[in-house]
Amino acid sequence: MKTQAYLFMGISTFFAVVAGVYMFWARQDHGAVEWVGATVLVVAIGFGWMMGWWLWQAARRSEHFHGLPAEERLDGEIAENAGEYGFFSPYSWWPLFVALSVAFGVVGVAVGWWMALLGAFAIILTTIGWVFEYYRKEFQH
Amino acid sequence: MTTTATEPRIDGQKTKTPSRKGSLIVRWMTSTDHKTIGYLYLITSFAFFLFGGVLAVLMRLELLSPGMQFMSHEQFNQMFTMHGTIMLLMFATPLFVGFSNVIMPLQIGAPDVAFPRLNLFSYYLFLFGSLIVISGFLTPGGAASFGWFAYTPLSDAVRSPGLGGDLWVLGLIMSGLGTILGSVNFITTGLCMRAPGLTMFRMSIFTWNTLLTSILVLLAFPVLTGALVALGADRIVGAQVYGPEHGGAILWQHLFWFFGHPEVYIIALPFFGIVTEVLPVFSRKPIFGYKSLVAATIAIAGLSMTVWAHHMFATGAVLLPFFSFMTFLIAVPTGVKFFNWAGTMWRGQLSFETPMLFTLGFMVTFLFGGLTGVLLGSPPIDFHVTDSYFVVAHFHYVVFGTVVFAMFAGFYFWWPKMTGKKLNETIGKIQFWLLFLGFHGTFLVQHWLGAAGFPRRYADYLPDDGFTALNQISSISSFVLAASTLIFFWNMYVTAKKAPMVEVNDPWGHGCSLEWVTSCPPPPHNFTSLPRIRSERPAFDLHHPHAAAPGAVAAGAEK
Amino acid sequence: MSPTRQENRRSTLRRWAPRGAALAVLGLAATGCASNDLTRLGMPEPITEQAERVLSLWQGSWLTAFAVGILVWGLIIWSVIFHRKRSEQLPPQVRYNMPIEALYTVLPIVIISVLFFFTAREQAYLMDTDKPADVHVEVVAFQWAWQFNYMDDTKENGGEVLFSEVGTPNPDGTADPETQTTLYLPENSSVHFDLYSPDVIHSFWIPEFGFKLDVVPGRDNAFQADITGGTEGHYIGRCAELCGVDHSRMLFNVEVMPQDEFDEWAQRQEQNAAAAGEADEPADLEEIEEIDE
Repeated sequence: MKTQAYLFMGISTFFAVVAGVYMFWARQDHGAVEWVGATVLVVAIGFGWMMGWWLWQAARRSEHFHGLPAEERLDGEIAENAGEYGFFSPYSWWPLFVALSVAFGVVGVAVGWWMALLGAFAIILTTIGWVFEYYRKEFQH
Repeated sequence: MTTTATEPRIDGQKTKTPSRKGSLIVRWMTSTDHKTIGYLYLITSFAFFLFGGVLAVLMRLELLSPGMQFMSHEQFNQMFTMHGTIMLLMFATPLFVGFSNVIMPLQIGAPDVAFPRLNLFSYYLFLFGSLIVISGFLTPGGAASFGWFAYTPLSDAVRSPGLGGDLWVLGLIMSGLGTILGSVNFITTGLCMRAPGLTMFRMSIFTWNTLLTSILVLLAFPVLTGALVALGADRIVGAQVYGPEHGGAILWQHLFWFFGHPEVYIIALPFFGIVTEVLPVFSRKPIFGYKSLVAATIAIAGLSMTVWAHHMFATGAVLLPFFSFMTFLIAVPTGVKFFNWAGTMWRGQLSFETPMLFTLGFMVTFLFGGLTGVLLGSPPIDFHVTDSYFVVAHFHYVVFGTVVFAMFAGFYFWWPKMTGKKLNETIGKIQFWLLFLGFHGTFLVQHWLGAAGFPRRYADYLPDDGFTALNQISSISSFVLAASTLIFFWNMYVTAKKAPMVEVNDPWGHGCSLEWVTSCPPPPHNFTSLPRIRSERPAFDLHHPHAAAPGAVAAGAEK
Repeated sequence: MSPTRQENRRSTLRRWAPRGAALAVLGLAATGCASNDLTRLGMPEPITEQAERVLSLWQGSWLTAFAVGILVWGLIIWSVIFHRKRSEQLPPQVRYNMPIEALYTVLPIVIISVLFFFTAREQAYLMDTDKPADVHVEVVAFQWAWQFNYMDDTKENGGEVLFSEVGTPNPDGTADPETQTTLYLPENSSVHFDLYSPDVIHSFWIPEFGFKLDVVPGRDNAFQADITGGTEGHYIGRCAELCGVDHSRMLFNVEVMPQDEFDEWAQRQEQNAAAAGEADEPADLEEIEEIDE
């Protein structure tokens, strides 16, 4: 996973360089830093480092205990992934319900606040339904 | 043949599949299968493509001759606003999500995407958000009419009042959220769910591009969402974020283009990926310079975040040399891509099935758009031709060249994988030539119109402007272009009715990435077996062991 | 059909294709020197010194673009013609070639560096507003018409309005330029434009200037144009930034006249303005500006 971490860190380091050049150049030419672009660039740096740093940490810890995962090794064999792979929801109604609530609330903002409030309430309810979908009934685990 | 019989055990599969008398519609509506959601994306975005295309044809009809034919100025403004919004945010962007959804898990040997329910949720956010935007046409004041980049103060509540504009802002916030969540899904899938042996530098270029595009989405779309929320606050609750007295007009442009320029690459990179998948298959060669291609794509992704203000040269408010230099720099990795594509074809064994034709059409078209792009990156030239039909021609060469040509290349290429049937080749070739000629007839002449002084977004021109002849060529060609899309429908119909089912895993014979080692269409959770992965084209290694990468065929293995 | 004949035909084609391409480039380069409708590549005949500079940059960039284009299209077409599938045998599986890849990374960098040099030079020249000008015009762009205030100095230096040409928005009428305002300019003079918008963003574009600049509310934009000699005549200017319903009707006339005629006209206008008294329209507008700022 470290390759991916370096990808994120690399891109945001590039943004850091660009942001520096941009602010300096703007100051030289216009006498003032252009703050809108500078701000979004700096935020982009933070974003990349957040992802990169987290990936790097996670990779370091997992590689310390388990070694390189099979998909990172040039000689990885398919059989290494045998066994439990993960849980995949077979079908679900909840995404539709949540999205309908969001749509209702969003239109509500344009139409009237009562509708937006109803929408917000519906979003909370349906999100609860989504989150606890696999804690109930036949899927309980 | 080195395959393992172990099928990844899936928890969800153990539970019984929905057994109620659910019709096909219900199954699709609640599906968490990445392929089905991908088809939903593809179908929906193609429907929006048709709608946006109808708007375009109506505009071309209006511009056929001087004077207003059948539209009012306000209606014309609504047309181009919605045409732009639809084509970029409801056609091209979700089309990327659609292709990536269907293809990317297959190419990395994964059973599904990382978050199947989130995937479906993203789709519904996109669908409902887009419908909310379009529903502006049903409001008394009509749809939004301030152009797809909604420059303030024109787009504020005073100058563009009405529900249509509000719905535009809110719907885009919602569908943008869907795109962001979709990207989170792709990044997680690409990082964590690759098959053993499929290291980062053995991923197919399409998967690479999907990943990098998703990163761009995460960088760009939140800025748009934030900007739109502020615009919505200005419009609906009377905030003053974009008041021109304190520089709000330029503030909006900065924020919008900080999203807007990466957006262009968000809709270009995945389609570069598609053509990069098609080229080696029909050249019977590996990609030339795989690593430099990946490096070029990363460079494009990085640079595309740093050139936003080249859309604002004519405002006189930006640092010209900085943005023009960064813009020129993008030409370098893009050039590298072109030479790699040409190098892939060089000394190959080229055959010209329809996907390859569309890919060549893409290369020829996009190259010209790229060249005019370098010209536009030069402020002295940009001052003259920006906001004219020259720019319209330029971005249609770039965007139509990539999105539409590569989309059809992808449809023809993966149709057997998606449906189990190959699209008809003869009809496909007729469609290609009509599309190609129609497209160039429509947009090539617009370069002259723009340079000669015809501004974009004009509902009308004067008889003695001298724009009539070129506009007529453009309009008539656009009807040919529209007709070519109808041929695609005919092809889908003929194929569904008559074409035989594809029996083999790889109907093209020289497929490279992992989608070609599973059946057409793939079974639930995609694979019954996977080959050993020792290069970026495991399927080719499997099917052509004598030319395979070292180590891909186990010593002593039969065949 | 014997295989040798086919081979022959292919090799003749192979021999002639690059020569034809070279000839086309040469022909294009040769025609690039003269100035006529074709070689201006769509740009209108320039009427300012700035526009002439833009035109030559435009032509030079296009030449470079065509050269690159012909190279790449050539590579594509070449492989399409000569590297078709001929047998079932796989071609050599070439994966990379570092020297060539390095070459086609470095070459574009050289090209864009040259282009950037000219770009930076021309843009510095185009954006220069420090030279003393002969005529000062404040352009007021509003939904959906133009007003031209002739001033005795630039706005920055506190110029006063001498007289104005005021347009009326004409939403229900035609886009006929005869109903629109006219910007009068003298030949052989340097003109300073100050741009002002009281409402939304507009863009001031006279195609023959080879230049446009946005008229942004809340922002003072300015540029200069040096009108060349022998350019007397009538031109049309347009608004190039979407500004609402009647965007496409926001046109204006440009009348370039000899210096003496212009002086005569300007004097007459100034006298008229003086005669009209204090409560004149341009004065009002100045006040509004003051409040806005």
